[in-house]
Amino acid sequence: MMRLSFFCIFATIVFVSGQDQDGLINSNVERTLDLVSHLPKEIISVTIENRGTKATRYYDYYVEPQHVNNVAYVGAIVKGKNNDDQGNLLIKQETTDKTKGAVYRIALPNDLRAGQTIALEIEVAHINALRLYPAEITQIERQLVLYKANPYYYSRYTTQKQKTTVTLPTDRAESYTQTPKPVAKSEQTITYGPYENVAALTRSEITLHYENNNPFLTVSNLNRWIEVSHWGNVAVEETIDMYHSGAKLKGPFSRLDFQRRPDSLSAVKTFKTSLPASARDIYYRDEIGNVSTSHVKEMQDQVEVEIRPRFPLFGGWRTHYMLGYNVPSYQYLFNKGNQYVLKMRLVDHVYDDQLLEQVTIRIVLPEHSRNIEFYPPPYGVERLPNEKHYTYLDTVGRPVVVITKRNVLFQHIQDFEIHYTFDKFMLFNEPMLLVGPLFGLFCLVIILVRLNFSISRNEGSEARMRVQAVWDQVVENNLKRTGFYQKIDDALNAYKANKDLKGYNEQRKKIENELKTVQQDLAGLQAKVKADSADSAEKIAELQRLDTQQREIQQVLSGLAEKLVGNKLPKPAYLTQEEAARIRLREINARISAIINQY
Amino acid sequence: MAARVTTNQSSINDDSELTTNDPEHQTNVSSKKRLSSSSNMLATSSLISPTGLTSLISFIVLTCAYISGFMSRLFSVIRFESIIHEFDPWFNYRSTAYMTENGFYNFLNWFDELAWYPLGRIVGGTIYPGLMVTSGVIHWFLHMINIPIHIREICVFLAPFFSGLTALATYLFTKELWSRRAGLFAAAFIAIAPGYSSRSVAGSYDNEGIAIFALMFTYFLWIRSVKTGSVFWSSCTALSYFYMVSAWGGYVFIINLIPVHVFVLIVLRRYSLRLYVSYSIFYILGLILSMQIPFVGFQPVRTSEHMLAAGVFALLQAYAFIDYLYTKIPRAADIKQLFFGLIMIVGLIVFAAVVVLTYAGYIAPWSGRFYSLWDTNYAKIHIPIIASVSEHQPTTWTSFFFDLHLLICLFPVGAWFCIKELTDERVFIVLYAVFASYFAGVMIRLMLTLTPCVCVLAAIALSKTLDYYADTETSDMSTSPVVPTNDGDGEDTESDKNNRNLYDKAGKPKPIPGRRGTPGTNPEAEEDTSIVSSNIKTVVVICIAMMLMLFAVHCTWVTSNAYSSPSIVLASYNNDGSRYIIDDFREAYYWLRKNTPERARVMSWWDYGYQIAGMGNRTVLVDNNTWNNSHIALVGKAMSSNETEAYKIMTMLDVDYVLVIFGGMIGYSGDDINKFLWMVRIAEGEHPKDIREQDYFTENGEFRVDRTGSPILLNCLMYKLCYYRFGELQTDFRSPPGFDRTRHVEIGNKNFDLQHVEEAYTTEHWIVRIYKVKKLANRLQAKNALRQVQRRKSIYSTTKKVAGQARKQGVILNKPQIKKGTKVSKRKT
Repeated sequence: MMRLSFFCIFATIVFVSGQDQDGLINSNVERTLDLVSHLPKEIISVTIENRGTKATRYYDYYVEPQHVNNVAYVGAIVKGKNNDDQGNLLIKQETTDKTKGAVYRIALPNDLRAGQTIALEIEVAHINALRLYPAEITQIERQLVLYKANPYYYSRYTTQKQKTTVTLPTDRAESYTQTPKPVAKSEQTITYGPYENVAALTRSEITLHYENNNPFLTVSNLNRWIEVSHWGNVAVEETIDMYHSGAKLKGPFSRLDFQRRPDSLSAVKTFKTSLPASARDIYYRDEIGNVSTSHVKEMQDQVEVEIRPRFPLFGGWRTHYMLGYNVPSYQYLFNKGNQYVLKMRLVDHVYDDQLLEQVTIRIVLPEHSRNIEFYPPPYGVERLPNEKHYTYLDTVGRPVVVITKRNVLFQHIQDFEIHYTFDKFMLFNEPMLLVGPLFGLFCLVIILVRLNFSISRNEGSEARMRVQAVWDQVVENNLKRTGFYQKIDDALNAYKANKDLKGYNEQRKKIENELKTVQQDLAGLQAKVKADSADSAEKIAELQRLDTQQREIQQVLSGLAEKLVGNKLPKPAYLTQEEAARIRLREINARISAIINQY
Repeated sequence: MAARVTTNQSSINDDSELTTNDPEHQTNVSSKKRLSSSSNMLATSSLISPTGLTSLISFIVLTCAYISGFMSRLFSVIRFESIIHEFDPWFNYRSTAYMTENGFYNFLNWFDELAWYPLGRIVGGTIYPGLMVTSGVIHWFLHMINIPIHIREICVFLAPFFSGLTALATYLFTKELWSRRAGLFAAAFIAIAPGYSSRSVAGSYDNEGIAIFALMFTYFLWIRSVKTGSVFWSSCTALSYFYMVSAWGGYVFIINLIPVHVFVLIVLRRYSLRLYVSYSIFYILGLILSMQIPFVGFQPVRTSEHMLAAGVFALLQAYAFIDYLYTKIPRAADIKQLFFGLIMIVGLIVFAAVVVLTYAGYIAPWSGRFYSLWDTNYAKIHIPIIASVSEHQPTTWTSFFFDLHLLICLFPVGAWFCIKELTDERVFIVLYAVFASYFAGVMIRLMLTLTPCVCVLAAIALSKTLDYYADTETSDMSTSPVVPTNDGDGEDTESDKNNRNLYDKAGKPKPIPGRRGTPGTNPEAEEDTSIVSSNIKTVVVICIAMMLMLFAVHCTWVTSNAYSSPSIVLASYNNDGSRYIIDDFREAYYWLRKNTPERARVMSWWDYGYQIAGMGNRTVLVDNNTWNNSHIALVGKAMSSNETEAYKIMTMLDVDYVLVIFGGMIGYSGDDINKFLWMVRIAEGEHPKDIREQDYFTENGEFRVDRTGSPILLNCLMYKLCYYRFGELQTDFRSPPGFDRTRHVEIGNKNFDLQHVEEAYTTEHWIVRIYKVKKLANRLQAKNALRQVQRRKSIYSTTKKVAGQARKQGVILNKPQIKKGTKVSKRKT
């Protein structure tokens, strides 16, 4: 017993002295409580002075015990410096003390030596801090909320001077606590303070009852699906369950009233989502199809999607939708050899002042990725065991990295990284999976068509096919033949016109030679076909006979023409004779075509 | 499309040396040139044998038919999105999704709680599962090879996919009937005929989509088996018939048409062993297989619809036996009459047996739906619910032309050709034509079964016509002059040879003056007649080609404009031509899905039952499966009675929400007020005492919602739900407030309040209005509360009185209260 009490005393001494050892005080604190949206945001500008003897590296930020679960985000930066080139200070959440509240230990950028001061800006976002009062309203009523806060800056250090400014969404406050004095209200802002020399861990309570018609949207569940393709695309799809967390709608919903008074209502008709600037193929749909009420605006640095749910959201109403898009992978996927790095936002912007109560992110990496390492953004996320996903042309499945996080706010939109190894030649895996079977199929068809698989041998049909092949050639020959006759005719006509006997003869000689070869071919075919079909051979023979006749007539014609040109024949006589020849020619041609056409 | 197919066809004919319908050739190309062009083509592919080429070309034509059949049905997907259309498809989609999630056996045992509250529906036993199984199998297969396609996409694209297959089946069928060329025509026709595409556009996921394929394929196999008499083919027929039974109630058409075919063949003395084998096997196998479908069950042996098949089967057995005897008995020819008499007697016995069994109650008489096919007024008098469906209305003459265009004119010609050259299988198509055209005349919906038949017969007519007219060879050979074209034309010839371009019409007339002008020495007198005939042929072919082109244009236009609307998404066009989408149905259903309690029960007219269950995922009282007439009549009664009466019915049925469709705000004509008279009629059928159709008309017998309308109409629930607070709304600057744009009147009853229901949701364009049924109606008492508080004793009795019950009940209620003095005293103590 003795020992225990001694231990207690010792512990207290150590604790108190430890506190004193820091020797830090808040020399000046300016708090801004931003109550405009449904997420109260606290920005604390605090000037810290080290009045102790030792240098210190840390500054502890305390949250009141009743708000411990409401704090979704704590961030801190050093004030005064250029905000762009400095990152957020490292913050570690220590164990929560039941009486004093949660501790966030902020690591200062460098040691704060005795006597030095530093100015920090701490940003704290609260969720679920607003109480709807009344909890149910009718369609045309305004939404009122109740907010309770500490007028003093809650800190383990003494505060010399402090002031709290509350910003309301409108200038209409039903009521607000008038103590501790001084309290001043001007339009939308209420100022508490300045107060001086407030002891450490001082608690008090003020209550604000005010009108807030801003959208009380909350996403109860967001599933984000990121599918990486090494063919140059990253597909993102978000499945969102959303509800209006404001005062519940009481009584009927009247479309007439809604249409007559489009503003001044707590209903959410539309909100805006920002997607990356390179987003394309955007779709917005739900379980029963495309939601046709949305617009996409492409801007310099982002793509803005104006999302209009199918119905306006009143308090307590919920909806569900999917929003998906593609982005080119070169902006997010980097590689050196076989080492790949995917660097993307963990969550996207869904709407301004977003609150995503539960977020699950699944990142699908290409098949055959190895050595997957996940580097979260600078806040805690939970990583679940990997999953497998099978999609087009997958054989072993794609690895899926699963991440979850609760209460994600706008401030959490930060990048994560995934490092993995992927052998480049595996890119050809999927095309080969397509090419292979198709190639096999074609080979199979080729084999089936080319080879004879019938059990019995059909002599007749083979002979028929041979004959058919010969006839094809005959037809071809005939084509040539008619072409040549055409040329002779042309030459003859030309001769009649220009009377160039020499040229004409030369041409005729040439063509006649060609015709001879054609005839020889025909003779060859005739011999070939004889074995299979005597009938065809006869036909070919007849063709040749007709051809000879045609040649004769052609010669007669040319003789006539020569006579006409040489003025040995009067024109009318020539015409009649030519006509007779032509008629015979026509007959021959008709007979030839008759024969050919039989095949 | 048809034009394109025609081209291909002509090229087939080039080497199968019979016909061509390529109009260009006949005009400018002499036989020589024609030959050269065709042989030119051959020359390029001399490696392939002509038979190979023919089959290659028919393959290409069929592929084109398939693709065009598929593509021409995608208008709605392109214009809107991949979405399930209309009403019935939503149920099919929902059950398919259920099957893919829970497996086939769970699906067969599925008890659907979302429908027919409080009765529920045993889905497995009340549907034809073929459609769901088909898409389920496709889904399963695709997922097996890791293609994670959503079941909705499969459902949406199933009908176009199967209409491509229908084209192939029609090709096979026509090929068996007539020739390959006719088959190609038929395939091309059926691929785009609006009569068929009306029920098979992408998204209309209905039984008919796959059933027409099954129908045509069964017919093809049947013809095949009749032609060959082979066991194999008739077994295939039975299997295909089984698929048809599993897919659509229209299988009754097959099981009656095939027996009729057999019967007519016997009458025509075309009986053969082939027929005997094929029908016996088909009937036995088909009977057993069809009884495997739970919904069909024992119907094939117990109902009159199927008795024709059984009777013909018995008759065929008897005929075969007698025929056998005839061959065995010597000098049978002498006692021919005896055999004839025997057959007649057997026939009569079979008929009498069926009649007796029907009267004895073993065989169910014809069902109402079937009966209404014979007596078109039957449904109107006895079953208003069937008559209320627009697709059960008789067909108008115009819709024949609208749906079939050119084909309806060619159709009788084809039938005539078939009759002229009659064979066993052509008897079948003729019978098919006769029956299908009768049914199509009775019910607009059965246009669907007529369409394939029309396509086949029109293809036969066209093919036969072109066989004659497009075949210029025969005439040209003997007559047409081989006048070599002049110098100028030489080049044309060359280019013509090189590219046989169909569209090269501009160049066509050129050679004609060239030829005429050449020497001017043509012995025209000799060739006059034949040249004219050749020209006429050309003209005919050109005309046919142009008509086919018009047909293709018409088909595309009809499919795109009349049949491609999903009907749950409406589109209108603004003045600047931009499209404005009206998506109110989905807005309302999605609201129901997300913002009502999961077990909420929605009362609406039965048309929207499937959609509410499918999209809204909420329990409905009645839906499009109109199996329980009295339940529907109860809903109809609720809609057509006044609010108080309706409230009684609604509390009795546990209704939470009431949904009505109202088009008066934007002028949507398919709304509930326009359907209202059917509700009244159906309600009157079951509750003739409470509802009288006459009450809803004005004195002149008109149905009006304006000031002159009947007061009962102006105070019934449907009217109130539709027009609640509509009187305050001015739709247009020129019209008074409360002007109904659909009916173009100012509504008669404007400022009223709702007692027992409150507005829960109204969509953007007011098309869908949802009301919540208030749980307790005693709120109204607040007005008189002061007086009644003084008399505490009677508060229970007065509650009900004020709640709007009939006066009599109050009297009865008061009496027992006096008698139950003990109870009251107990309470007091």
